[in-house]
Amino acid sequence: MGGKKNKNKAENTDIQQTLEASRRDFLKKAGISGAAVLSGAAAVLAGYRHEKSKNKGEFVKVLTTDNKLVKIAAEEVEGYEPGLKELQKRGREGIPGKKWVMIIDLSKCRNARKCIEACQSAHHLRPYEYHINTLVMQESVNTPAYFMPKPCQHCDNPPCVSVCPVDATFKRQDGVVLIDNERCIGCRFCIAACPYSARMFHWEEPVNAQADKDKEYDIELNVPQKKGTISKCLFSSDRLRENQLPYCVSACPNGVYYFGDENEDAVTNGTTKETVKLSELLKQNGGYRLMPELGTQPRVYYLPPKNRIFDFDQDKPREEDLII
Amino acid sequence: MKSNRKRSVRFRRRSISLLVLALLVVVPVISQEWLVPADRQGRLSTFAFNDSIEKAGLQLYNLNCLSCHGNPGKGNYQQLIPPPGDPATEKIQRNRDGEIFFKIMEGRGQMPSFKNTLSSGDIWAIVAYIRSFNSGYVQTVMPEITSGAYPGALIAITLRLAAEKESVIMKVSAIRDNTSVPVVGAGVKLFVKRTFGLLPLDEEKITDDNGMATFGIPPDLRGDTTGNIRVSARFTDEEKFGTAAKDTVLQAGLKVIPVSLVKDRAMWNTLRKAPWWILLSYGLGVILVWGFIIVVMLKLRDIFIIGEFTEKENKREA
Repeated sequence: MGGKKNKNKAENTDIQQTLEASRRDFLKKAGISGAAVLSGAAAVLAGYRHEKSKNKGEFVKVLTTDNKLVKIAAEEVEGYEPGLKELQKRGREGIPGKKWVMIIDLSKCRNARKCIEACQSAHHLRPYEYHINTLVMQESVNTPAYFMPKPCQHCDNPPCVSVCPVDATFKRQDGVVLIDNERCIGCRFCIAACPYSARMFHWEEPVNAQADKDKEYDIELNVPQKKGTISKCLFSSDRLRENQLPYCVSACPNGVYYFGDENEDAVTNGTTKETVKLSELLKQNGGYRLMPELGTQPRVYYLPPKNRIFDFDQDKPREEDLII
Repeated sequence: MKSNRKRSVRFRRRSISLLVLALLVVVPVISQEWLVPADRQGRLSTFAFNDSIEKAGLQLYNLNCLSCHGNPGKGNYQQLIPPPGDPATEKIQRNRDGEIFFKIMEGRGQMPSFKNTLSSGDIWAIVAYIRSFNSGYVQTVMPEITSGAYPGALIAITLRLAAEKESVIMKVSAIRDNTSVPVVGAGVKLFVKRTFGLLPLDEEKITDDNGMATFGIPPDLRGDTTGNIRVSARFTDEEKFGTAAKDTVLQAGLKVIPVSLVKDRAMWNTLRKAPWWILLSYGLGVILVWGFIIVVMLKLRDIFIIGEFTEKENKREA
C-alpha cells in the first residue's frame, strides 16, 4: 500500500515539475507576446496620432443651410445625409427668396422626347408614366399641328391643393406644388380637380420598387414612388436646391426650355445656357399661359409655335406617341 | 405696238420666273454649305494638342456632341434632317481648325451654339479629340508672339458705378514692372450673375485709348433686397488678352423684396392660412350641429327626470 503511495508521490512531483516548467514557459511566451502586442498598439496609436495631427490646424470652408460660409476644423468634418424628418421639413418650406418660372418655346419643339426620358429616369417611372409629356396639337383642320410639352403648371392658385383632404399636396413659398407620398391616401380628388391633367396615379407597383425599398423618401424627388398614391412633376426641386436646372430643361437638345427666378427677372435656356430677361422674352414673343380663364395662374409660360425651325410633317412622331 | 407691249410683259414674266428658278436652285446649295467668315477660319489653338487634352476632349464630346453625332468613326449618328454627320469623315476633317471651332461655337439650325456652355479651351479640346481620328493631321499652333497682346503683363480690370447709377465704367490696364498701361481695343463684356447663368449687361464694348469702356444699366434691372447686383467682367477674345476676369458687387439694381407665394389666406393654403370665411362658417357649423345634439340630449334627460318624478308622485298617491 505504502509503496503505491510513494509511487504516487513520485508521480505527483513529476507532474508538479512539468507543470512548473510549463508555467515558466507560459509566462515567458506571454511576456514576449505581450510586449509584441504593446509595441504594435503603440505603433497604431502613433500612426493614429500622426493622421490626426496631419489635419490639425487645417480648416475647411463649409456653407451652412442659411447660406453662411463658416470655417470648421478639418478633423471634425463628417459626411451628412439628411433623414426623413429633415427632408420633409425642407421639402415643405421650399427655397426662400425664389419664384421659379418655366418658359416653353413651342417653335423649337420637335418631339425629341429627351425631356420625358430624363424625367422618367430621375423619378423612377415607366415609359408610359408621365410627369411631362409632349402632346400633338391640331387646333383645327386649317391650322398647322405642333408639339406641346406639358408639365405640371405649378399654379399660384392650385385647385388640386384646395381639394386635398389630407394636406398631402401643397404649395411652397418658391411656387412649386409638391405631393407627399407619405401622407397621400390615394383618393385621386386632385386628379379630378387639375384642369391640365398633370397628375398620374400609381395603379401598379412602381418600376424600381424592389431596388428603392431601403431608400429614404425624398419629398422633392418622389423616390421611392409608392403604389396607390399620386405622383406629379416636381420642377425637379432636388436639383433647384443645388442651383441646377431641372432634369427636363437640361436634357432638351432643341433649346425649348427656359427656366429661372422671377425675382431676378432672368431665365436660362437649358440647351444653350444663354440667360435672357424674362419680361423681354415674354413681351417680344407673345408669351401666354394655358387656360387663363380658370384663374389658376400657372408658373409655366408658353411662346407660340411661330417661325418654326423644322417641318412638322418631315418628322412624323412615332405611332405610339400620337396616342395620348 | 400692242403686241410689242404684250411681248415685253411676257418677257418680263419669263425673266422673273427664270430668276425665281435660279434662286430655287441656288438657295439649297447655299444652305448646304456652311461658310465660316474669312477672318475666323484661320483661328488657331494657343496650345499643342496632346493625349491629356484629347482625353478631356473625349469627355466633353461625350457630354455635348455624342447624342447627335455618335461615336467618331462608327457612323452611328442620329438620323436627322440634315444629317449631323460623323466627325471622323473627310467631310468634317477637311475643315480648318478655325472652321470647326467656329461651327461648334456658333451652331446653325438644329446644331446648338456652345458659346454659352463651353469655354474656348473646352472647344479646342473637342477639336483635338476630333483631330485624333485623322492620321494625316498636323497641328499648327498659334505663334507665341501673337498669343498675348501684353505678354508678361498682369491684366487688371476695375469696375465702378457712374455717379447717376446709369452706367458701369470699366477700366482695363496691363501692369508690368510697376508701370500701368491702358489696354486699348480689347473687346469686353459685362454680365450679371443669375441663379443659372450669366445675363449680359448691354452689348460687347471695345476699350478706348484710356482702356475704358462704359456699359449702360437698364432702369428695371433687378438686384437683391439691398439693390446689389453681382457682376462679372471678361474679355471676348480670351486667347489674345487672357482669361482675366473681375467679379464684384455693385449697388446698381432695384431693391427687390421677395414675397412668399404662400403668405396669403387661400382655399389651397394650410389650415393656419385658410380664409376667414371658411374658418368661421366651418366653426359655426360644427358648434351648431354639436349644440343641437347637446340640447336634444339635455331635453331627453329632462324628460327622464320628469318621468321619474311623476312616477314617484303617482306611487306616493297610490
